[in-house]
Amino acid sequence: MSPSQTPFNLNRRSFLTGSLGAAAGAGLLAACGSPSAPSAGASVSRPPISKEPGNLSMLEWGGYEAAGTKAQTAGMTVAGKSYIDRYGANSVTYSYITDDDQALQKATLDRRFDLMHPCHENIPDYVDRGLVQEWDTSLLPSFGDLNPFLMEAGQYKGKQYMIPWDWGYGSLTYRTDHVDPADATGWELAWNPKYSGKIALWSGASTNFEIAALKLGIDPSKMDNLSDSELEQAKQVLIQQKPLNKFYWESEYNQMQPGIKSGTIWIAYSWQDTLVSMKSAKVPVAFMQPSQGRLSWFCGFMLGATTSNYYHAHEYVESFINKAACAQMTNAFAYGTSNTKVTPADITDKALAESLHLGDPHAIATTAHLQSWAPNRPKLLLAWQEIKAS
Amino acid sequence: MTTTEEAVERVAQEPARRSRVRYRPGKGVLVLPPLLLVLALLIGPLALIWLYSVGLRSNIPGTVTSFTTANWKDFLTGPGNPFRGLFIHSMLITLTVSVLATVAAYPLAYFLSFTARKHRYTLLLLLLAPFFTSYLLRVIAWQIILNDQGVANWAIQELGLQPKGHAISWLIYSNFSVSLVLFYSWIPFVALPIFAVLENMDRRLLEAAEDLGASRFTTFLRVTLPLSLPGVIAGFVFVLIPTTGEFITPLLVGGPDSQLFGNQIQAFFTNSPDWGYGSVLALSLVVVVIALMLVFGRFLSTDLRQTSGGGSR
Repeated sequence: MSPSQTPFNLNRRSFLTGSLGAAAGAGLLAACGSPSAPSAGASVSRPPISKEPGNLSMLEWGGYEAAGTKAQTAGMTVAGKSYIDRYGANSVTYSYITDDDQALQKATLDRRFDLMHPCHENIPDYVDRGLVQEWDTSLLPSFGDLNPFLMEAGQYKGKQYMIPWDWGYGSLTYRTDHVDPADATGWELAWNPKYSGKIALWSGASTNFEIAALKLGIDPSKMDNLSDSELEQAKQVLIQQKPLNKFYWESEYNQMQPGIKSGTIWIAYSWQDTLVSMKSAKVPVAFMQPSQGRLSWFCGFMLGATTSNYYHAHEYVESFINKAACAQMTNAFAYGTSNTKVTPADITDKALAESLHLGDPHAIATTAHLQSWAPNRPKLLLAWQEIKAS
Repeated sequence: MTTTEEAVERVAQEPARRSRVRYRPGKGVLVLPPLLLVLALLIGPLALIWLYSVGLRSNIPGTVTSFTTANWKDFLTGPGNPFRGLFIHSMLITLTVSVLATVAAYPLAYFLSFTARKHRYTLLLLLLAPFFTSYLLRVIAWQIILNDQGVANWAIQELGLQPKGHAISWLIYSNFSVSLVLFYSWIPFVALPIFAVLENMDRRLLEAAEDLGASRFTTFLRVTLPLSLPGVIAGFVFVLIPTTGEFITPLLVGGPDSQLFGNQIQAFFTNSPDWGYGSVLALSLVVVVIALMLVFGRFLSTDLRQTSGGGSR
C-alpha cells in the first residue's frame, strides 16, 4: 500500500466530499432552524421577582444608558426611584442602536433582550415578528399619569405593547454663524450646493425618504406610504443630495454633535437635544422650522417576548416614567415626556419648552409630521442601499 | 549485497512489516480536528449564506421561503446595478492601495535588510510598534489628524499653504482618506514578507554579480528584485485580500462617496430587512477572493521554487 492510499490520508476527492457533505448538513440544519414567529403575549405562570435572574438586557439608543453620560441623570438616578440604586450598577446591560432599522435587526437576531426602546412606527414589525409581549400596566404605578393619546398610540391590535416615554421633533440643526438664515427656510437647505461638504444627514433610511418626500412636495400624510413612482422620485433626489454630505452620521454623540461643534459640518439632521448640547457648548445653532413642517416621533419601552425578568422590566420602566424621572429627561434632552404631571414649572428652559410645545404631546401630530409605519419598508430599505452604493 | 540492494530489499519488505506493526495515528488523523473546524466554521456558514442568497432561508420570522435567483440576476446582469458599480470602485481602491503599499514597503524592507544591519530588528520593532494598539483606535487617530480642524489642516494653514480658516476638506471623508489609512494600516504587513525574503537571500549571488561587472543598479534589477519577488507577491496579496472586504476604515474616515463593497455588505446585514441581497454580495466577494488567491498562489509557489532551486540550476 502506498502512503497515498493509507486510510487516514485525506486526498482532494475525500476532502471535497467531506466538505460538501458538511455543507449539505449545515444546509439541512439551516433549513430546519429557520426562525419562526412565536406567539406573543401568551399567558404563562411567572416566578416572583425574587426568583428572577435580575440581569436586565436592554436594546437602547446611546445616551439614555447609565454608563457615565449625562443621560444617567434621567430616570435611573432619581432618589428613591432609581433602578440601579435598588439593584446595583451592573444590573442592566445595554446593547446600542443608532437607527430604527438596525434596532429591529438586532432585536430579531438576538431574542434575549428583556427591554427594547424603539419608536412607535416600528410597533407592528416588533409584534408581528413575535419579538415582544404586552405590558401589565397594573404593575406600573405611574401608568395612570401617562398621556392617553400616546398610550393609545402605543397599542397594537388592542394590546399595550409599548409604554411611550419620550417624544420630539426631527429637523435640520444649522450653525447660525455660517448658514444664511434666508437659506434655512425649508428642507431644500440640505440640497443647497452653497453648503456642499458641510451637510450631514442621518443614516436612518426611512427618515431620509420622508425628508425627500417633503422636499418634493408630496402630501405629508403619504410620506411613509410612497407609491413606487414616488419612491423612485425620492430616491433620485437623495442621490442628487448625496455628494453634498460630508458623511451620513451614525452616532449622535460621537459623530454628528462633535462635527457641528468643531465646524466640520454646519447643517445636520438632528433631534432637539442637539440644541441643548450646543447651547451648553456655546455653539450658535438653530433648529430649523421648515416651510414643509418638521418631522416628529415618539418612542417607548417594549417588553421582550421571552424575558425571564418580567417584573424587573416593569420596575425598570417605572423608574423612567415617574414624574421626577420624566422631568429630568426633559431638562437633559429637551424632549417631551409622556408623563402629564410634568408641567412647565418643572422645565428649566421655559423659552425652549414653549417653542417646542414640550407640555403638549399632541404637538407632534398637530405641529409636525408624525413618522409612521411604512408598509413598503423592504422596498424602501433596498432603495436606500442603492442610494448609498450609487 | 551492495548498500543500494539492501535499501531496495528493505523497501520491498516494507508493506509486509507494516501489516505486522500496530496501527499508529498518522498525519491524516492530526489534520482532522482543524479540518473539521474549518468545515464547521467556514464551509458551513458559507452554505448558510448561499441558502439566504437563493431565498431558501430568511432572517425575517414567518417568511415563506422559496428558491429564487432574482437577487443574483439583479446583481450580475441588472442594467446599471449600483452594487456592481460599487464593487468596481472598491476593487480600484483596493488595487491602488495594494500597489502603492507594495512599492512603498520595498525600500523600507530593503533598508532594514541591507542598510540597517545590526539595528534592523530594533527598527523593525519600531515599525510594528503602532500595531500593538487597536486597529480601531489607529483609524480614529487618523480622524483627529485629518479632520477640518485636525493636525494636518492646522499644519498646512500654519505653513501658509492654505489661508487660515479654509481647511482642505478632501483630507477626510474622501477616497483619499480611505486610501491613505488603508495604505498606512497595511504597509508593515507588506514589508515583513519582503524583509524575510531579503534576509534569507544568498548574498554570495550579489557578490558574484558584482565580480562579473554588474553595476549596483543592474545587480538589484537582475538579481535582488527577481529573487525577492515571492516576498513582493506575498506582501501584495497580504494587502489585497483583506482590503477587498474592508469596512471599518471607510466607515470611520470615508464619506458617502467613498464607502467600499464591505460597507455595503455590512449595511445589508445590519440595517436591511432581508439578508438575501447581502448574501449575494458576500458570496460574490468570497468568489473573487478565492480567485485572487488561486491566481497569486500559483505565482507565489512557482517563484518560491525558483528561489530555493536557483543555486542548482
